[in-house]
Amino acid sequence: MASTVIGAGITVEGEITTDEDVVVAGTVRGKLTAKESVTIEHGATVEADIAGASLIVAGSLTGNVTASERVDLQSGARVIGNVKAARVTIADGAQFKGNVDMDI
Amino acid sequence: MAQPRTSSHSGDAGTARIGSGARVRGRIHGEGDLVVEGQVEGDLAIRGELTVAQGASVTSEAIEARSVVIAGALEGDVAATGTVRLVAGSRVRGNLRGSSVAIDDGARFSGRLDCEFDLPPELGGASSRGEVRGRTAARR
Repeated sequence: MASTVIGAGITVEGEITTDEDVVVAGTVRGKLTAKESVTIEHGATVEADIAGASLIVAGSLTGNVTASERVDLQSGARVIGNVKAARVTIADGAQFKGNVDMDI
Repeated sequence: MAQPRTSSHSGDAGTARIGSGARVRGRIHGEGDLVVEGQVEGDLAIRGELTVAQGASVTSEAIEARSVVIAGALEGDVAATGTVRLVAGSRVRGNLRGSSVAIDDGARFSGRLDCEFDLPPELGGASSRGEVRGRTAARR
């Protein structure tokens, strides 16, 4: 169970910092830092730089991402920004514009 | 009271939770309920119920919600269209406005209460709609 959930009707403008998981179904503008996984659900809008252990995107994301483990862009995702992680997957049907840095 | 489940997953529409390990600096607004278990610094404006859980802390200029339940620490002015309830163990500093305000035994509150209520007939006469503005400072 996710520790922090931004529901579909909710907008956060500012900075979110957490030791735990974050699920975004609503809107986040600003900065998002999590020690564990970050999930951007289908229908969610995030305009923020994100740092976390892992990131799953099914919604819309504008911002740069740094993940210590992995980044998965699922079908339906729309991502504009640079992605830095050791493992990155981009599913068929995901839209992506930016650079990928797998640190090789 | 039991409510029918309308959604099947954690990020269901209109429900938000700031977990105990989380900290938000900025503004939170929108539809639906919000449960704060962690720390929030910034203004809150939501259409649903705001719950500040035990151990949580909220520091804000202005807090707007339909109803508010506080069990943690809160600093700032609260404006609710419905009820505001301060649960035992809560620490609140600021002004409270709501259709009704409840302060449980063991809650600590410093600020002004602003709520509409019906005066008893022996006090208010015919027009029994009144407003109270008082200052309550409870300290332990």
